[in-house]
Amino acid sequence: MTVNLYQTGVSGLLSAQQQLATTGHNIANVNTEGYSRQRAEQSATDAIRAGGNYVGTGTYVADISRLYDQFAYREQVINQSNLGAANASNTSLTQLNGLLDSAGGAITGSIEQFYQSINSIADNPSDPALRDIAINQANTLATNFNNLNDSFDRIEASTNSEIEEIAKQISDLSTELANINGRILHTNSPGQPGQPNDLLDERDRLINQLAEFTNVNTVTDANGVMTVMIGSGNTLVAGSTALRVEVMPGDPDPLKTQVAIASDNTTIRLKQDSLGGALGAKIKFRDEDLAQARSSINRVSLVLSETLNGAQRQGLDLNRGQGASFFRDINDTTSQEARILSHQGNSNTFRSGIEITDVTQLPTNEFELVYDGANYQLTNLADGTTTNLGPQGAGTYNTAFGFNFVENAGTPVAGDKFTIRPNANSAALMQVEIIDGKAIAASSAVSVTPSDNNVSAGGINIVDVADPVAARAAAPMRIDVLENPPGSGTFNYTITDNTNTTSAPIAYTPPSQQIQLPPAPATAAFTVEITGRPSGQAPNGPEQFTIGDAFGTGNGENAKFIADTRDQGIINGGRENFRQSIGITTAQVGSHAKAAELGAETSQALFTQAFNRNQETSGVNLDEEAANLLRFQQAYQASSRVVSVANTIFDTLLSAVG
Amino acid sequence: MRVSTAQFYFQNSQQITQQQSNVNEQTQYLSSGKRILTAKDDAVNYGTLTGLKGELANIKQFERNITIAENRNSLQETSFQSAVNVLQSLKQSFIQANNGVLNEQDLASLAAVTENGLEQLLDIANSKDDTGGFIFSGFQTNQQPFVRQINGSVNYSGDSGVRELSIASNVDVDLNQPGDKAFLNVTNPTGDFKANYLANTSGISLESAVVQNRGAYNPAGNPYTFNFTSATDLTVTDGSGTPVFTTNSYAAGQTITFNGLEVELSGNPLPGDSFELQPEENVSVFDTVNDAINWIKQGTTPANSAQHNVDYDDILARLGESINHLVARQAEAGTNRQLIDIQSNIHKDNELTLESSRSDVEDLDFAKAVSDFQQSQTALQAAQQTFVQVRELTLFNYI
Repeated sequence: MTVNLYQTGVSGLLSAQQQLATTGHNIANVNTEGYSRQRAEQSATDAIRAGGNYVGTGTYVADISRLYDQFAYREQVINQSNLGAANASNTSLTQLNGLLDSAGGAITGSIEQFYQSINSIADNPSDPALRDIAINQANTLATNFNNLNDSFDRIEASTNSEIEEIAKQISDLSTELANINGRILHTNSPGQPGQPNDLLDERDRLINQLAEFTNVNTVTDANGVMTVMIGSGNTLVAGSTALRVEVMPGDPDPLKTQVAIASDNTTIRLKQDSLGGALGAKIKFRDEDLAQARSSINRVSLVLSETLNGAQRQGLDLNRGQGASFFRDINDTTSQEARILSHQGNSNTFRSGIEITDVTQLPTNEFELVYDGANYQLTNLADGTTTNLGPQGAGTYNTAFGFNFVENAGTPVAGDKFTIRPNANSAALMQVEIIDGKAIAASSAVSVTPSDNNVSAGGINIVDVADPVAARAAAPMRIDVLENPPGSGTFNYTITDNTNTTSAPIAYTPPSQQIQLPPAPATAAFTVEITGRPSGQAPNGPEQFTIGDAFGTGNGENAKFIADTRDQGIINGGRENFRQSIGITTAQVGSHAKAAELGAETSQALFTQAFNRNQETSGVNLDEEAANLLRFQQAYQASSRVVSVANTIFDTLLSAVG
Repeated sequence: MRVSTAQFYFQNSQQITQQQSNVNEQTQYLSSGKRILTAKDDAVNYGTLTGLKGELANIKQFERNITIAENRNSLQETSFQSAVNVLQSLKQSFIQANNGVLNEQDLASLAAVTENGLEQLLDIANSKDDTGGFIFSGFQTNQQPFVRQINGSVNYSGDSGVRELSIASNVDVDLNQPGDKAFLNVTNPTGDFKANYLANTSGISLESAVVQNRGAYNPAGNPYTFNFTSATDLTVTDGSGTPVFTTNSYAAGQTITFNGLEVELSGNPLPGDSFELQPEENVSVFDTVNDAINWIKQGTTPANSAQHNVDYDDILARLGESINHLVARQAEAGTNRQLIDIQSNIHKDNELTLESSRSDVEDLDFAKAVSDFQQSQTALQAAQQTFVQVRELTLFNYI
């Protein structure tokens, strides 16, 4: 057997062709996403033993492999998930930040304007135009709260449709991945060299896409078939079987949708907090940042409504009636029942509500209420502490959080579970209840006038007016206070009512004491407070305080009282006024948005690093390919020359013979 | 390091995008002149900024109140000033009327002048402010406070309401002085009582009568009647006729003390002189003026000339006290304005400080921002140029 120079030349030609084809393939795919450059691995064919020597016989292409570093690729997938999450929260939070900045600013502005109009009434209570302006400002204020709430609704709705879109895309990717798995299974023959490089690239590209939406884990078996797991390890693709990701209504709030993995006959809810990627970020944004901001704004509107309604109730309007509520009553049945959400599977007959009792104590977080068969257990979801509210059937249950739980109808069944949102819906329900400017209770009902003959440092102030009309009807009254004997520290006071009947002496203990007036058995209408040491001079000369009717069209005392609530710390245990509370909410969202922006930048940098590392191995470099093109072209030309030489040798031989 | 072509384009485009976004951001800062556009730009300082803006809004509100309070109080001050002027000329006319050379016609014209004065005074007391409300009617701003009756007396139909406005967090200032305080509550020059002379031939008069010991004083004993049976014999009886004080050695100018009261008389009594004490801590300006008019109207030949002279002194003292009272009211409005002025200055100082803090936090440092902007611009240009130039470096150009 002799060396076949023809064969050797042709083998070189064929190899060079395959090399050129691979180079061409690389150049053609320079812009193909997820493409790994390929290389034709050339080997020398077995030599022939001739005359005791091994003579080479040429070359062949052993394998066309893709240059692929699985660790670099894995790193890129993980970083892709982080980047997807970071970008999604950055986008959402930036949107929320912008909204709060403009809408929160509008609310702060309208609060200022409203209080300004009330302040003008305090100066000039009889002017009907000023009163109408105040009503208009109140309408603007309520509308601004309604609008912000609508914007929150829109963000929630669009986040939900994004979640659905992502779920749909994941399902599509799942189908494609299962498809590719099937094709790889069919093309791969175990033990044979050569891999379906482009299919593998395509599958990796799909995994990368999937990673943008959620955490992905993959396991590849000996046959090259990949099992894909998402979230905290739930299988999405097993071999050629694709499962779907579906969106289900949330429990108890249907708008807090949840995602689940579904096959034809089973549905498994995914752990919502370990989804990762854009999907996890969207759900986290909706359930945490958006819910928190919404609850804070709801709380401001709730506290503002109640504060103004309460201040309004203390005074008299131009028609001498008790001030009617400025805004919708915070404790009407609709509002009360909107604050408690019943979980699926609860007994249907039981109805309950949440009644707000102290707006200063209201938190912004949610609570969970469980009926364990005997008692109601209230869990504060902010810190996880549980309080036993007591056995079922008591009607009203006090809590330490500024609200009461109220049973309305029916009886609960053991295991019934409720979610309580104390501030729910108040921004949406905020609405001005009075139409006529006359109804603004600018006038105070009663006033205290100390006698000119009073000698000591002590006084009586009105602290609360529960029923201004009755208070006014009870006037005039007189309170005489005397320390007898002088210097003894024993104080007594008498109340002389409007029928000139004087009560028996009642003990007063300094430094201060509240008195309900008019005294029992009449129904108390207002409360005054004695302060200091009103000693008086002698039984004939006690300290005298006259409580008189103060109503007048020019009386703006109560408008001043309303106006003064503007700057009072009422929210969050008395620490924040309205403007501050909105500012704090805006700043919180702002700092989260800033953190998300930084997170997105960091994730982008990390992703770029991983991408670069991957590209170092797998990316196509056109200059390199250009050099290869020349190299293989030359190889092809050289091999052609070998064939031509073989031909010449053959011709020489023939002519020699011939 | 091996660089793939895709990597090269990816990085370049990322660079350019980043630089473009920087330039865009800088442009936003520059065009708004603010460093903090939304809370995201500086969440920590945003809180401070909210506080500063809140304080500034407070001050703006207080400044609006200050303008209102200043107007109201200066209107009151002017009204009191006019009332004092009117009363002073009334007092002059009244003194002029106590002149023996004047005839009936002179007195009649003086009475007419005084009458005019009272009308002027009423006009002032019934004046309105820019909102159309009566300034001296307390809370009853739509009710004319002072109305003169047929008998010449003046009724008050306002109340004692005092409107207040906040001019600082814990500082409220009165906007008005109610009519009763302004015109009705003039301190009685004779103390807590006035004398009602029953028979007066000697011309004795009440110098002062005050409750010295309120514990011993019993209002139920009123009215106390003083009876001189001789120049030295004095009996005081209470309302039920029970003697509460008797002396047979009364000396002119002596202090008479009983039931917690201290009474001093002037003049030397004659037998039969008698008067009773009626509690009256305050006298109305209008009643005093009305008494003055009636006094003048009695003409040159009054029924009881001794009593006429006693009344003259009494009315003159009350006119003087009325002027003092109105001057005090004017001073009170002045004090309010002073308080307002001081507070206004405090606000202006605070506003300046707060405004400069706000500016420090919120406003853009233009020098730095412009230089940042140019830096970003240069970086963007560099990125673009590098991209274009490096893009041309390909081996394919040479084959």
